[in-house]
Amino acid sequence: MALVHKLLNGTCILRKCPKPSVASYPFLGTRFADYCSSSLQKPAPVPGKASSQRKTEGDLQGHHQRDVALDITCPEEKPEVSFDKAIKDELKNHFWRLKDDIVNRWIGPEGRPLHEVLLEQARVVWKFRGKEDLDKWIVTSDKTIGGRSEAFLKMGKNNQSALLYGTLSSDTPQDGESSRSGYCAMISRIPRGPFERKRSYDWSQFNTLYLRVRGDGRPWMVNIREDTDIIQRKNQMYSYFMFTRGGPYWQDVKIPFSKFFFSNQGRIRDAQYQLLLDKFWRLGSPRSRCLHIWCLVSVHFLACSQPPSCCILMAEREQVLVFLLIKALIPS
Amino acid sequence: MNPLIFTTILMTVLLGTMIVMMSSHWLMIWIGFEMNLLAIIPILMKKYNPRTMEASTKYFLTQATASMLLMMAIIINLMHSGQWTITKVFNPTASIIMTSALAMKLGLTPFHFWVPEVTQGISLTSGLILLTWQKLAPMSILYQISPSINLNILLTMAVLSILVGGWGGLNQTQLRKIMAYSSIAHMGWMTAVLVYNPTLTMLNMLIYIMMTLTMFMLFIHSSSTTTLSLSHTWNKTPLITTLILITLLSMGGLPPLSGFMPKWMIIQELTKNSSIILPTLMAIMALLNLYFYMRLTYSTSLTMFPSTNNMKMKWQFETKRITLLPPLIVMSSLLLPLTPMLSILD
Repeated sequence: MALVHKLLNGTCILRKCPKPSVASYPFLGTRFADYCSSSLQKPAPVPGKASSQRKTEGDLQGHHQRDVALDITCPEEKPEVSFDKAIKDELKNHFWRLKDDIVNRWIGPEGRPLHEVLLEQARVVWKFRGKEDLDKWIVTSDKTIGGRSEAFLKMGKNNQSALLYGTLSSDTPQDGESSRSGYCAMISRIPRGPFERKRSYDWSQFNTLYLRVRGDGRPWMVNIREDTDIIQRKNQMYSYFMFTRGGPYWQDVKIPFSKFFFSNQGRIRDAQYQLLLDKFWRLGSPRSRCLHIWCLVSVHFLACSQPPSCCILMAEREQVLVFLLIKALIPS
Repeated sequence: MNPLIFTTILMTVLLGTMIVMMSSHWLMIWIGFEMNLLAIIPILMKKYNPRTMEASTKYFLTQATASMLLMMAIIINLMHSGQWTITKVFNPTASIIMTSALAMKLGLTPFHFWVPEVTQGISLTSGLILLTWQKLAPMSILYQISPSINLNILLTMAVLSILVGGWGGLNQTQLRKIMAYSSIAHMGWMTAVLVYNPTLTMLNMLIYIMMTLTMFMLFIHSSSTTTLSLSHTWNKTPLITTLILITLLSMGGLPPLSGFMPKWMIIQELTKNSSIILPTLMAIMALLNLYFYMRLTYSTSLTMFPSTNNMKMKWQFETKRITLLPPLIVMSSLLLPLTPMLSILD
């Protein structure tokens, strides 16, 4: 089932409508729905051929909402899926990426000459210019554990930013074990190489995380996870807070990597360790601890930089504890 | 760490290696390996952080697996020969398993995957011990069983190690990983000549240890773990920058430096044994290593990379005294004229 899902992700499905008929593939129902809910490129609406459903919705709002919600199939238009072509395309894609890897190895780290990598002062890692940029992120909320929060990610105006929006609800799921709830997050996907090998980001040349955001005035958190091969480190991550202003202007947030504090299973540890920058896996930005409210943040880009003034390796433990004390006293 | 405990652990590491090198009983050799392994773990985790813990776990798992394989080979040999002495391995299966186990301990291809990961995860001092002292024990056993090792397997592992060591180090910006891949390549050179002339293996090992010690001590002195931080040493200690240049070129095997000596001797020995293609391939693949050493020297010593200040003094004052650095630098760069003396090895 997972192989079919993978193949469908890479296949060129010959279709006239982005809504495959689930009825035609009953055994693929759930997987197909998941595949459709990822940000596929929708064909431009053809005048005169729009379905009655589109005509009743009509306005831009409805189109935007359907950009992120689950696509529902047109019953009369069925996609054509060719597994042979899918397998061939997938293999060709992976071998092409392997060839690029081998050729790039001669050029230098990450396919660029070494002096370029060493002289780099800032690097934009994630920017939002199209749907393919949204595909690099996963949006999650406590809906996965039975909560009622919802979060969506879509392109902002003029395709220059991404908009993360939704509702947060602190109603706990009725499962008998969760006592707190209410979070949403956007998490970057793990970079993959040929044959889906996991890769990691090497940010050892930089010392600051640089984000340009326009938030809703509420605090968010920025989490960083390192690449790890052993299961004991599965729940370890480094976190820091990001306070958004909520104004109409973009906000440049620069967080030195030395400020990030170490936590395991959601609890900050007494022993704090330096964030090592050579094996980054994931960046996440969760928001939690609210009553039933809307949350909204626009992200222009996420980058890493190397300001010469910042040369501290690790935040002092006392600094972290004082910061947390202040946070607890001020009600959110 | 408590100095007494640290001394005890360090002594156990030394004792374990000594037991391996001096024993003729297979069980004592295995015990020596285990003592060495268990004692090196706290040394690897001396500066505790999650990455160090991960590296130590990986090291322990691979070395324990290798020890298991070694024990299995010892017992198979015992079943066939009826004796525990390390004179000759009578059974070919035992020989192959033993070779694989020792290759895993040394980090030879295809058992090399742990070397860069573990070396990157630990501190520079621990990496120094890992890439120098920890090679002595397995190499001494390989030396002793060299007459009964399968030549094809050993040469295949040697050539692949040289290739992987050169290819893998090409795009690294982390210095510890560069040294790890350098170690894999050098182990390949050592094992290639092991069957023909084991004494040359020991010579190569000696010179490799000197050069690696020098490099690590220079990195410790300049507190550099990445290529970028090394490229700023011209601003702080220009003399160290020059010494890094010389040592890196020596590691690359360029004459007239010491590193050329073992390569020259090995190629000469292989050609004396009517092997032409193998040393040619090895010499060509050594160019990969030389390429990334040259790239490192280019960014460190041959160019003045833009720095954040114009001051020659660092903002934080550190007094680091590295003992034995001057004689090590001399030995890792100026030993080539002594090559005619090596005729006594024949």
